[in-house]
Amino acid sequence: MNKIMSNKWIIFLYTFPALFLIGVLIVVPLILSGYFGLMDWDGISAMEFIGLENYMVALQDAKFWESAFHSFLLALFSALSLILYLIVALILASKIKGANLLRKIYLIPMLLSSVAIAQLWIKVYNPTNGMLNSVLIFFGVENPPNWLADPDIALYAIFIPIIWQYAGFYILIYYAALKNIPQSLIEAAKIDGASPVQIAMKMKIPLIMNVIKVTIVLSVVGSLKYFDLIYVMTGGGPNGASEVMASYMYKLAFESYDFGYGSAIGFLLLIITLIVTIIIRKLTATKEEIQY
Amino acid sequence: MKNKKAISFVAVLVISLFVLAACSDTGGSEEASSGDKKTVEFMHLWPEGSSAQHHKIVNDIISGFEEENPDISINLEVLSNEQYKDKIKVLSTSDKLPDVGMTWAAGYMEPYVEGDMYASLDDVINKDDFVSGTTEAFSVDGTTYGLPLELNTSYIFYNKAIFEEYGLEEPQTLEELKDIVATLNENDVTPIALGNKDAWTGSMWYMYLADRLSGNEDVLTNAINRENSFEDPALVQAAEEVQNLVGADAFVEGFNGLADEEAKSMFMAEQAAMYLIATWDLPNYTTNEDVSQEFRDNVGYFKFPTVGGNGNTNSYIGGTGVGLFVAENSDVKEEAKKFASYLVEQWGERAVTDVGVIPGTKVDAESMDLPEMYNNVLNDLNTAENITLYADVQMNAEDAQVHLDAIQALFGGEITPEEFAKRNEDALAGEE
Amino acid sequence: MRHIGYILLYTVLAFVAVFQIFPIIWLVLFSLKSNQEIFAGNPFALPTDPKWDNYLKVFEGGVGTYFWNSVWITVVATGLTILIASMATYTITRMHWKFSSLVLGIIMIGLMIPIHSALIPLYNMFLNVHLIDNPLSIIITYTTYNLPITVMILLGFYTTIPREIEEAAIIDGSSIHRMFFQIILPLSAPILSTTVIINMIYNWNEFVFVNTFISSDAFKTLTVGIQNFIGQYMTDWGAIGATLVISVLPIIIAFLFFSEKIMEGITASAVKG
Repeated sequence: MNKIMSNKWIIFLYTFPALFLIGVLIVVPLILSGYFGLMDWDGISAMEFIGLENYMVALQDAKFWESAFHSFLLALFSALSLILYLIVALILASKIKGANLLRKIYLIPMLLSSVAIAQLWIKVYNPTNGMLNSVLIFFGVENPPNWLADPDIALYAIFIPIIWQYAGFYILIYYAALKNIPQSLIEAAKIDGASPVQIAMKMKIPLIMNVIKVTIVLSVVGSLKYFDLIYVMTGGGPNGASEVMASYMYKLAFESYDFGYGSAIGFLLLIITLIVTIIIRKLTATKEEIQY
Repeated sequence: MKNKKAISFVAVLVISLFVLAACSDTGGSEEASSGDKKTVEFMHLWPEGSSAQHHKIVNDIISGFEEENPDISINLEVLSNEQYKDKIKVLSTSDKLPDVGMTWAAGYMEPYVEGDMYASLDDVINKDDFVSGTTEAFSVDGTTYGLPLELNTSYIFYNKAIFEEYGLEEPQTLEELKDIVATLNENDVTPIALGNKDAWTGSMWYMYLADRLSGNEDVLTNAINRENSFEDPALVQAAEEVQNLVGADAFVEGFNGLADEEAKSMFMAEQAAMYLIATWDLPNYTTNEDVSQEFRDNVGYFKFPTVGGNGNTNSYIGGTGVGLFVAENSDVKEEAKKFASYLVEQWGERAVTDVGVIPGTKVDAESMDLPEMYNNVLNDLNTAENITLYADVQMNAEDAQVHLDAIQALFGGEITPEEFAKRNEDALAGEE
Repeated sequence: MRHIGYILLYTVLAFVAVFQIFPIIWLVLFSLKSNQEIFAGNPFALPTDPKWDNYLKVFEGGVGTYFWNSVWITVVATGLTILIASMATYTITRMHWKFSSLVLGIIMIGLMIPIHSALIPLYNMFLNVHLIDNPLSIIITYTTYNLPITVMILLGFYTTIPREIEEAAIIDGSSIHRMFFQIILPLSAPILSTTVIINMIYNWNEFVFVNTFISSDAFKTLTVGIQNFIGQYMTDWGAIGATLVISVLPIIIAFLFFSEKIMEGITASAVKG
């Protein structure tokens, strides 16, 4: 048994394609981006080696830390919203009537591209013609907020579509995980007189714990490098109020022609994400599982 | 059996990826040198869907050029504005710019010129053909690197029907403009559409106020090219005026979260009475069949009013839009230059009559049958005494970013006029 | 008491369902409007004068080639990702070797790269191997960039497969390949179809890499159809809406199809289990 399951040739054969592709197309560019971070380079003229200066500047760059803080907030909210998705998946995966139809409907927004989602939410948040403020005015709210224009609100306003955009993704994963639990276990618990909530808390959730851990990592990592809707809906504004690390990096590298500094920010983003991931894995690790 | 099948399957997969990668070596880039025909790569940002007329004229010009020069063929790639800028950026890092492409003036092209990416066009340009000031914006140290295609000035466009309804007239002074704002607000009409998410829109308001207030049309330009400080009293006062206008509810609700496009649509849906924009928008108010005739007849424009008796209304904020560059390292530089100058030359007249774009080249408006608004704008252009190039185009990219962020903060009341001036000053001073 | 609970539950579920179905209705309405109606009108108002020519514009723009490219690039890249990711996840979770956690670590780093950091180095690499303006560059990139997330999703499921199944297979004299292709892959059918859906959506909607690596119209995908309507100063949003509707339809159809597959996969594995 063990001999077959540790056949080196097969391990190599099965792992090599993934490792090769990721090594060449992801790890090498990452190293290069860390290297560009050591340069004073506008992406056009010749590079000039300046050592760690970009990284030093970044560590003292208030705008960078502010955008990092925004990214952290997004990660926090994304991770918390997983609870909601898990509840939805638990309901959909239980044998209620119409679950099949509901599940399909719930996943629809996930199919839309970011372009469509951004346009939709721009319309939702429009201060004068938007859906949200129309509803608020209907209910007698005077001076409803300027969602994307108010620097105190813009960041949180933009979190909602981002979190909503990924709802389908996580519900789909949880659903598949829950359906993977052998039905016989649940039936046995029912016969023992356990309530649906008890079954969910004591059996289903522990059984899919590995999947939940993975989704926590996915949502946090995805949030820390998030870019799409922020860029389209507010461009990081007003005046940086909704800037996140990836949009700040993009602005520096592609709009301000400071490619060296932008690369340094991109590399720091990676380091931060890496540290956060390691912390999450340590926090969620249990004895019996393999340490990833 | 199964075992072998699986192994060979995986092996074939990996190998084929390599082989494909290696094989394709022979494809792609080589056709440029095949035969006697030379290929000039040309990238522009007027896609067929959104800019049908631009696109068609350029295609016509290309076929005309290929007919006259049977040994040259043009290889075209079209992208949208944002994607175009991003792609040019990526291409330039590998020194792979297209032979001919589009560039913006001043601050945008500076790094490309410094990095020796753009070829000098002094040998093909005849400056007399261009409206004065346009080629200068594409010059660095007396050498011209771009052939201007567009020229814009900006005006306040207004809805005549709304003005009539409330008995309003075109304002001559800022005070009159403020009275109009007050009247409209009393009647629950949004006075001015402004999409300040793309802060260059707010920057135009600021620039005009600075120009008029100071009575010195060079006040901002001097601050940018460091002959003067941005903390000049007039520049601070202009920022104060901006906040006065915001305080008087002159602009649409939530302007800092609106894109220019959304503001424009409000104006065009008659939900706002006024809208400051450059002349690239003229087709919407004259020839664009997608816009209702009734609305087009209802649009008028006036020059930015004077402030406190100061300012010259024949001074405009505007300037060149895109121009053509030729890549310095192009294998077919001569052909590329030939094509670029041919395109600019042919573009001029057809741009006005077919597209409604005011070209960088001089045109004879008298001989053309144009909508009234065009004639007026072209006449204004002839009597223009100054055109100040948009601040964010004048500045280098980094300072422009600071300026635009500061504009948003200024309009949003997050910073004082003094802080606004200081932020700009610090950015501009930083690079000396 | 139980009844009230159910009524409440269904009310909430139905409310959320309406909320989730709105975007599609909105998108269809959006695609039939002019810019003024889109920006200045009520988003859910019916278009006063439905602009069917928005769709005409899209077809005139020549979506045929783009559509076909989107289809085959999506299918090939998705297939490659799923296969390669499954194999790697299998060795990481089921086989015994020293470096499995290191390999997983490298794969996880792949999750963390912001694409704009990778764009310029990738362009340069493809340029050096002459893969610029070659669809292969897109396929390789899509395959690779979806590998980490696919492996992560599969990970949680592979760990739940009981060891006994493998032990029994080995006693029967089965090889690893046979076990992987004939037992493990079919067992993970439900989660595989989930990853197929996710991969398809990503590949179908991607535009940054296509726009950067591809310049010939012959190899561009549907997402550039959207670019076609973004102008220097004006954007034709109605036509963009029409493009979005046209491009989301195949995905919806494919999604509904794969949802059925999920159910089938579950029933199949339930029978076995």
